[in-house]
Amino acid sequence: MTTTEWIGARAPRREDPALIRGRGRYVADINLPGTLHMAILRSPMGHASINSIDASEARAMDGVHMVITPDDIPDHVTQFPVIWRLPGQKDSGTPALAEGKVRYVGEPVAAVVAESRYVAEDALDAIDVDYEPLDAVTDAEAALEEGAPVINEDWGDNVAIHHVFAGYNALGVCGYEPEVFDDAEVTVRGRLTIGRHSGIPLETRGIVADWDEVHGRLTVHSESQVASLFRTELAASLGLPETAVRVLTPNMGGGFGNKWDRYPEDLLVSIASMELGRPVKWIADRREGLMSTVHGRAQIQDWEMALQSDGTILGLRGKVVNDLGAHLHSVGIGPAWVTGAAAPNQYKITNYYCDVFAAATNKTPSSTFRGFGGPEGIFGSERMMDKAAKQLGMDPAEIRRKNMIQPDEFPWFNAAGAVYDSGNFPACLEKALEAADYDGVRAEQAELREQGIYRGIGISSYIHVSGFGPSPILGYLSYYTGGYEGSTVKVDPNGKATVYTGMIPMGQGTETTLAQVAAHHLGIDMADVRVVWGDTDQTPYTGFGSAGSRSNVAAVAVIRAIEEIKAKAIRIGAGMLEADAEDLEYADGMVSVKGAEEMRSVSLAQVAQQAYWAHALPEGDQPFLEASYVYDPPNFTTASGCHVVVLDVDTNTGKITWQNYVVVDDCGPLINPLLVEGQIHGGIAQALGGALLEEFVYDEEAQLLTTSFMDYLLPSFTDVPDMEIHHVVTPSPHTDGGFKGMGEAGTFPPGAAVANAVTDALSHLGVEADELPITPSRLWNLIQEATG
Amino acid sequence: MMAQVAITLNVNGRNQTTLAEPREILADVLRDRLGLTGTHLGCEHGVCGACTVLLDGEMVRSCLLFAVQAQGAEITTIEGLEENGELHPMQKAFSEYHGLQCGFCTPGMILAGIDLLKRNPDPTAQEVRDDMGGNICRCTGYQKIVESVLGAASEMNEVTS
Repeated sequence: MTTTEWIGARAPRREDPALIRGRGRYVADINLPGTLHMAILRSPMGHASINSIDASEARAMDGVHMVITPDDIPDHVTQFPVIWRLPGQKDSGTPALAEGKVRYVGEPVAAVVAESRYVAEDALDAIDVDYEPLDAVTDAEAALEEGAPVINEDWGDNVAIHHVFAGYNALGVCGYEPEVFDDAEVTVRGRLTIGRHSGIPLETRGIVADWDEVHGRLTVHSESQVASLFRTELAASLGLPETAVRVLTPNMGGGFGNKWDRYPEDLLVSIASMELGRPVKWIADRREGLMSTVHGRAQIQDWEMALQSDGTILGLRGKVVNDLGAHLHSVGIGPAWVTGAAAPNQYKITNYYCDVFAAATNKTPSSTFRGFGGPEGIFGSERMMDKAAKQLGMDPAEIRRKNMIQPDEFPWFNAAGAVYDSGNFPACLEKALEAADYDGVRAEQAELREQGIYRGIGISSYIHVSGFGPSPILGYLSYYTGGYEGSTVKVDPNGKATVYTGMIPMGQGTETTLAQVAAHHLGIDMADVRVVWGDTDQTPYTGFGSAGSRSNVAAVAVIRAIEEIKAKAIRIGAGMLEADAEDLEYADGMVSVKGAEEMRSVSLAQVAQQAYWAHALPEGDQPFLEASYVYDPPNFTTASGCHVVVLDVDTNTGKITWQNYVVVDDCGPLINPLLVEGQIHGGIAQALGGALLEEFVYDEEAQLLTTSFMDYLLPSFTDVPDMEIHHVVTPSPHTDGGFKGMGEAGTFPPGAAVANAVTDALSHLGVEADELPITPSRLWNLIQEATG
Repeated sequence: MMAQVAITLNVNGRNQTTLAEPREILADVLRDRLGLTGTHLGCEHGVCGACTVLLDGEMVRSCLLFAVQAQGAEITTIEGLEENGELHPMQKAFSEYHGLQCGFCTPGMILAGIDLLKRNPDPTAQEVRDDMGGNICRCTGYQKIVESVLGAASEMNEVTS
């Protein structure tokens, strides 16, 4: 391509050449000389006190270098903190090993470091732990009741938080008027549950710690999605100065939020490497990955919607109970808070109230997972819209049309405090309905039913508030880091550019995306841009990193740094062209005299050479051609859209067959449409897993029953439909380029879209699909109950 | 620690001999003893397909075989697909059609796609989905993998016709 119009191009990914050759480098592929291997002894029980741990036999085994029990953790090592600490939230962190009791199956109890992983696992069998079982808590609602066994004694109960959204937005208007619900012509109630599932990257977690005693430096090869924050917290927990820690993040085999958190094993490998003076490596196997990597989504929601008989919504109120798991993990109850903030969705709901509870249970901690509470909120909102339509005898499309925020009503201050910057919700809905032939499907439903074909069509509209910032707002929300992204751009003496970013690529094509943005704004070939990531010694600090759909924020940092470079190039070019800087412009990689009849220009490479030779720099300018910019966004960006699903339900088996899946997505201007499609496809597939298949199942003793891919079912080729994607483009009014976050949006609507379609298909039976995942057996049972 | 035995494998056209414990799985020997880290381990219990390799031309899961069981066998891993510096059409198609994101399942997917086209050179999209159902991807939602395999099929059929 000779274009410099890189933004919007379906540019091939620069990540691919290594990955298709098997030359990617993931943490498991890193084998440093002298590496020792760690294996973790995990709790086999959901809730038990630990009377004693006898590791003497394991310590004596050939090939074993170290056994770490709680007594072997140095006193100065502290727990990893929770970084989102809302007022009234209980205090806990993530310890390296269980302290006195185990609170969930899979909690680390001890660790062995040995010559090989095989030997380390042999030694685990030789550690004798005396447990005394305690009553377990598995039901989140029961956990909140008085008299329930308390999991974290210092809390006094299992209520991690009770947060109230009392219906006031950023302007202090809206509000909550309970009498509206008493007086309304129509009130609609719904009780919804979302199963416990998670991101489950195909690459499990893993880490290599390498302590250099001579220089006093700990180098960590990790898959943290937020390497800078990880460095800060690891150094603090180990009692090291932050300058002593370097975090390198090689290729990542998927993250989906789960790798944003800090984990016990991060501390354990570091402690071992510092003690033994050798690199120590730990790679989770799948079983321990499923039981120890954070879970997500599990919620019980009770909603009540008040409406006029014409379908106008008068208010929404509800209660969300988040099944938190054993303790607060890195982001605390953040996802449940987001659920409360997202539930008003695309609608003009000015009367709103929501109780958010997070309940400790004897399960794996629930924390960061793609979508971060948003998909749960959209599930609540969009199921309630359909329930209201049904009760009113309205078409589900019509009730949405009637209540949507209109394109001229932005910025919209939602009743839970979020500010929507822009969007065109009706356009997304209409486009999706048209693409799915909504009226056509509706028209033939009755006839198909006569033939025994139960076809349903389901709508789900969504908002995704992305690109968290500015930092003071995060402070206001008690989120203990900033919302900015920084970038340094360096143009070398030959006019080629290097971009440094704190973003951590997880597979979504960050390197390609940022190279496109830089090449576009510098007006040079994409091949002449290199992107450096994954090394905290070189890259800018970020408190967010790859989370919250951040490319839109990181891209602006690159653009702003390049603006400074272009301004300097013009100043240097002025001397070279013997012209006034005001008469010059920068375009297509050239500094030129504006409007000159005879082309008078110098190239970026010529300017760069002058910048490095520094023989005749403008007064006040230093050598080099580089700039750094830290962009703190003035507001969130609001991506939005609509999914429409058409499916058939086999009433004999509860099996679902896809007929159509239509997506209309509005993430503002697209940097790379090819990559956007990939993100949407992947997000939807992941959400369909949670909607139809995936669920961590615990028994009454809090034993985890789904610890392999044979029990925990991930969607396969045959479970995911072909998806048809359309775009509506509403640029964000406040970010350069108008980009909005998009990497998570695909996960928001599928749960409700599928549940609405299933409910629609079975409307003659009155079945309501209110519990995810809608597994064939669960659906078959609902059908049986309905048909008696 | 267990005694080691000598294992000779023909990997990507070259005979290689290594010492390994009899309990070591083929994937670990390929990765840790022979340095071929393109074969990835996603579940270690035979479900996800990331560790797929070809053994005497047949698709196998290298996490479910002990390396000693492969004594003397011809093994093709993702690193062995390039011929004379030329990528296999399946590798090219995965990049062209955006059939990969994080790349972790990709080696297994590419080998499974090649194996499919050997048995069915001109599959339909549904046949690709049915046949490759034993390989899991968490990033792509599969649609662009299906397009990649169909793209490779038409490319390969053009060359041979």
